[in-house]
Amino acid sequence: MSLLAISEQAINGLIVSTFYALTALGLAIIFGVLRIVNFAHGELYMLGGYAYYLAVTALGVPPVLGVVIAACALMAIGALIEGLLIRPVHQGKVDRPEEYAIMVTFALSILLLNLANSVFGPWPQRPAPLFRGRVEIGELIISGDRLAAAGTAVLLISVVLLALRFTWAGRAVRAVSQNRQAAEIYGISVARVGMIAFGVGAALAGLAGALIGPVFNVTPPMGVVPVIKAYIIVVLGGLGSIPGAVVGALILGQVESFATILIPDPSRALAYKDAYGLIVLILVLLIRPQGLFGTRERRA
Amino acid sequence: MIRRNSFKAAGAACLLLFFLGLPLLGLTDYWIYTLTIGFYYALLAASWSLLVGYVGRISFAQAAMSGLGGYVSALSVIHFNLPVAGGLLLGILLAGLIGFAIGLLTLRLHGAYLGLTTIAFGEILRIAITAEHGVTEGSRGLQAPALIPGGTQLDYYYLFLAITVFSLLLMWLILRSRIGLFFQSIREDEDGAASLGVDVTLWKALAFACSSAFAGLAGGLYAHFVQLITPSMMSLQEMGFVLAMAVVGGFHNVLYAALGGVMLQSLLEALRAFGEWRLVIFGLLAILMLRFAPNGLFGMLADTLRKKGKSHG
Repeated sequence: MSLLAISEQAINGLIVSTFYALTALGLAIIFGVLRIVNFAHGELYMLGGYAYYLAVTALGVPPVLGVVIAACALMAIGALIEGLLIRPVHQGKVDRPEEYAIMVTFALSILLLNLANSVFGPWPQRPAPLFRGRVEIGELIISGDRLAAAGTAVLLISVVLLALRFTWAGRAVRAVSQNRQAAEIYGISVARVGMIAFGVGAALAGLAGALIGPVFNVTPPMGVVPVIKAYIIVVLGGLGSIPGAVVGALILGQVESFATILIPDPSRALAYKDAYGLIVLILVLLIRPQGLFGTRERRA
Repeated sequence: MIRRNSFKAAGAACLLLFFLGLPLLGLTDYWIYTLTIGFYYALLAASWSLLVGYVGRISFAQAAMSGLGGYVSALSVIHFNLPVAGGLLLGILLAGLIGFAIGLLTLRLHGAYLGLTTIAFGEILRIAITAEHGVTEGSRGLQAPALIPGGTQLDYYYLFLAITVFSLLLMWLILRSRIGLFFQSIREDEDGAASLGVDVTLWKALAFACSSAFAGLAGGLYAHFVQLITPSMMSLQEMGFVLAMAVVGGFHNVLYAALGGVMLQSLLEALRAFGEWRLVIFGLLAILMLRFAPNGLFGMLADTLRKKGKSHG
């Protein structure tokens, strides 16, 4: 295999990783604060794609503003979902909170997927990208829309990481993730932090969907596969771990990019591409359930 | 206690009579067909509630297990010339075996982790069956031989009804025995159960095996009834439909979950005019039930009937 082919695969993997990281980061923040896996995360990603499509194609706003609108819309939707469905879990209003949270978010994903199918129709939409054209580095050719989307994703991830580190809300999110009771004793409103966490998590998923939309089309089931990747990443990195989500995304991007070479028949290699990550997921859960960066709990 | 049991028996007998007599009311073949599919979902939803409602472990691989049963049965009949009953049995065995293996592998996993692992297992199965189109015909669909060659819709209806009732009886016998108590003790307090001498490892794995085997049976029956199966019967979308059925019917009771299956499948056909909105409504219904009536529709109904019976007596 030539050096060019290897670097091409590596760069493809890196670009894909940035979108994975954006989606997984939202999942990790939500899990950290609320201790639930959001099984509707893929549908929030899809709604982000549609919000961008509506803003750019139907309203005709410039693409950059479209991304901002998608983020705001998804943050509002996320906060609404948290207030209506997730908050009762922590207020002791449901019988079996763990089962409830899993099933209710799964049911929500079915609802949102079919809602999009009914409202927007099953056909794919393709909104205008952030940037057209292509970038050439020596013999390497990368299409501009992908590079612009990946660059924006990297920027957004950095902003989120810095906000978590230095802002008051970010500190509150980390505090609640570490110890809910202690955070509450120190005067943090866990209810409000929960809402912020779900809103930000939903906005991150929506941003990933909005950035990917122009590259791979916007369709109702567009979130199904990426969210499974995000599950793999957060489990690989340790559920709720922020650095784990980023490192996990980088690993998965490369694994998928290079593992396709293992099967010689190209059509079958492509068909099995999504299975590699799932095998990684099962291996991690069986060998090291707390993930790379997670803390060991008595029960996984 | 005797009165409560007789109340239950009377309810079950009424239901059985209802479903036995339903085709005599002059239903069209189309509706008989719909109800037969409804029995498939009833069995699938009941098998899921066996695991979720009684052992408290959530699996998202139930639709995949049903697909596995269907594909194994259809392929073994086609390639090994087994009789259809033999294919069904093989499907049940394999689904049960794989269920047992998943149960053993995921012993240490809980709640959301278990959900994620079962999604992974289910999706790998679906991807593999889609990708190996040389054997399974992939998404073009696999032709399965008929369960009753030359049978009418009515034959299938009564066969499906009989097998569903038999399976529910079997589940009920398992659940009312000591095993059922072991299951519930694991759901309520795993460590407590283990400290009192319940072999938690064995029963958790067996619960998975049981639940998967019933799903495999459902899938096998379905394959030889509709005679064309595609990997989409294993999708997460389908899994969500089964979840909605069990939740709306009441997932803490296998019978209520089964009734939820028949009901939602019938509604799905009756509300055809609503198109995709039907699934939106079902999703919303499932969320509302989970939040405000976790016992499900039939659980609530049984409670009110019981209370009424008490106030009259």
